[in-house]
Amino acid sequence: MAPGRKGRIARRTAVIVVVVALSLWMEVAGYVATPTSERLEVSYTTLHAIVPLVFAACAGIAWRISPTRVPARLMIAFVVLWIPQSIYYVIGGIDWLWPIVRGVDLWWAVIAGILVLVYPKGFLSDRFDRWIAGIALGASVVNLLGVLLLASPDAVPCDCLSPNPYQVVDAPTVFAAIDVGYRLVGVILALVIAGRLLVRWVRASVPARTVAFLMPLALFAWAITLAAQAVTYAAATTADTVLNTVSLIAIASIPVSFDAGVAHARNMRARVADLMRITREGADRGLWAESLARTLRDASVRVYWWDEERGRYADAAGEPIDAADANPRGSHSILPVASPLGAPIALIRHDRVLTDNMRLLDGVSSALRLSVDNGRLRSEIERTLEQVRQSRQRIVEAGVEARRRIERDLHDGAQQQLVSLGMRLRLAANAARDTDELQLATELESTITMLNQALRELRELAHGIHPSLLSSGGLALAVPELAGRCPVPVVVDVQAEGRLPELIESTAYFVLAEALANVAKHSGASRAWVRAHVVDEELLLVVRDNGTGGASLDAGTGMLGIADRVDAVGGTLELESPPGAGTTLTARIPLGGPLSA
Amino acid sequence: MNDARPLRVAIADDALLLREGIAKVLEGGGIDVVASVGTGDELLEVVRRGGIDAAVLDIRMPPTYRDEGIAALEAMRAEGSTIGVLLLSMYATPEYALRVMGAGSGTGYLLKERVSEPQTLVRAIETVASGGSVVDPEVVEQLVKRTRADDPLSRLTERERSVLELMAQGYSNGGIAQTLFLGLKTVETHVRSILQKLDLEESPEHHRRVLAVLTLLGER
Repeated sequence: MAPGRKGRIARRTAVIVVVVALSLWMEVAGYVATPTSERLEVSYTTLHAIVPLVFAACAGIAWRISPTRVPARLMIAFVVLWIPQSIYYVIGGIDWLWPIVRGVDLWWAVIAGILVLVYPKGFLSDRFDRWIAGIALGASVVNLLGVLLLASPDAVPCDCLSPNPYQVVDAPTVFAAIDVGYRLVGVILALVIAGRLLVRWVRASVPARTVAFLMPLALFAWAITLAAQAVTYAAATTADTVLNTVSLIAIASIPVSFDAGVAHARNMRARVADLMRITREGADRGLWAESLARTLRDASVRVYWWDEERGRYADAAGEPIDAADANPRGSHSILPVASPLGAPIALIRHDRVLTDNMRLLDGVSSALRLSVDNGRLRSEIERTLEQVRQSRQRIVEAGVEARRRIERDLHDGAQQQLVSLGMRLRLAANAARDTDELQLATELESTITMLNQALRELRELAHGIHPSLLSSGGLALAVPELAGRCPVPVVVDVQAEGRLPELIESTAYFVLAEALANVAKHSGASRAWVRAHVVDEELLLVVRDNGTGGASLDAGTGMLGIADRVDAVGGTLELESPPGAGTTLTARIPLGGPLSA
Repeated sequence: MNDARPLRVAIADDALLLREGIAKVLEGGGIDVVASVGTGDELLEVVRRGGIDAAVLDIRMPPTYRDEGIAALEAMRAEGSTIGVLLLSMYATPEYALRVMGAGSGTGYLLKERVSEPQTLVRAIETVASGGSVVDPEVVEQLVKRTRADDPLSRLTERERSVLELMAQGYSNGGIAQTLFLGLKTVETHVRSILQKLDLEESPEHHRRVLAVLTLLGER
């Protein structure tokens, strides 16, 4: 990009130098060629020569800061089109040239008008503007044709022109009508543009106004002088030099105010961007209020933040807003800022004049909303996460409790009932045998056998739901019993002094149960080792086997179930399972973690 | 056994239905049920008053429904009572069986569902009342099912394994001989061979033998 940028700058500089040189040379040549008696004052001529220089300089700046290249190009065009006015004494003798020059000698005004129309965006932003520009250009073309076809050497009061070679008919009245009409259209358009600009200016932001007032002022001055000039031209009298001087100054101030306005807008955007940056960096509230005051150029700005706990607004230092500030009269206004969901965020007390600058205030509220929303979201996520953690633990606890309750219900209910039933059947069978009802006795006895089979299955089921040994004996008893049920021989090493919290014991038990089930089902191991040690406020569980390895935490619901259980109590899980080299599953469960709370 | 006087037994179980049923079964087997209570503490009171030969009690009872029965047994032994104690449990838990055997002689551990086998229940009470040991075959089965790479049981013959299982259940040599239809001498030979192969000492106290065998099976 650097070489392209350099080339562009060089090209632009060359263009500016060329047009400035051309303009100056023509101005000087025109002045020199003018007979002494016809010469205007030197000061006026100098001022006249300075106008295009101002445009050229402003073009250089506009190229750099304007959103599009249009304004700079218009300014350059202005410089070129400024030339025809002062060179009739130079080119008057060239018959093919002067009618063309005469036809375009007011085009600079069209350019100046369009320049105003494209302010500040750099293009014609609405239909109305395009219409005005279109009318001006159309009128200019009509005027050019009128001049070419109708103008006689009288068209320029210099007594220096050759006859017009393009003239088709000598109709001085028609020519005068076109000539004066063109100027009147120009004046009307200039007044419309000025009025439009004024309306826009009144609606615009205060800081923008402070700079952009130049533009409509200049345009008005110019339009009025233009009108006066048109009237004097129509009356064929010589315009007043003072009027002309005011006109020149007004014209010259158009590109200046253009650049100044654009520069100011850029500056404003930069400061709002600064505010956004500060917001993103999460600066503290005091700093934020300061930056806001700087952005709004209003030192009296106060920011009051919504205090959720106390249900009131208070400043960064915690001082609550007083009644006078909450309902300001006169010089200040209050801007409430709320989250998209309507929750209050802050009140911004600011100078009433800023109320007009709604776009700026909108930007500020957005920045503030963003800042507070960020913080709020962060803390909400943290709070939600904590709630999820707690609720997951509660769910796990409830699950353990439910299992225990089901087991106990089975134990005290169904199992007890079936045992009693078996007993009564036995008594009945014995009675039947005593009374020699052998068939009935045999039937009852086989029923008892079936019942005992059912009891056996129920016992296994209840044990799987919650081992009673875990409740009474803890891991030290339950783990060896668990390992004993595994079809793969297991070496057990449990070192857990005393009892651990119930949730940890049951988590550890079911983690080991599922791990051993995996060993039995998938590992193809001939031997396994189970370790359960309490080390540094942590329960360390290790299940190792000499199987085929290749297990993964992602594959299979068994591992996932283990991971979920460990996760729910704030523990960590590691799996080491290189293919062909056995599997080692290590779970660490904190004893002093969230569970102790 | 003193045939002149029936055994006097106390029952402790929090389930009234079961308590009554057990009483009925025992009475049908010629045993006197002299007390029927709902907790271990109440049973301890009964035992302290004296006059009973054995107690049948549930392991899980109020207040915590964990191992109150075993705790009551240990309390009795600590207080010097030597009456036979038979613990009933819904689950065949070897760890509990070991703890029960560890409390001393005259103790037994049976699955609750054995109440539908009156002979088994009555014989078990008679055994513990006379200072013998009883372990539910289901517990022994579980222990024997445990597999180990260097299983010492692999050194035993089929017959010796059967003998070992009965030893673990608390059978005396005579009981084993009866059950397996073997001569007493043959059983004694088998027992000696087993103890030698498994590196166990023959203990003068019968329950120690049971405990040793159970421990071996559990730690194998």
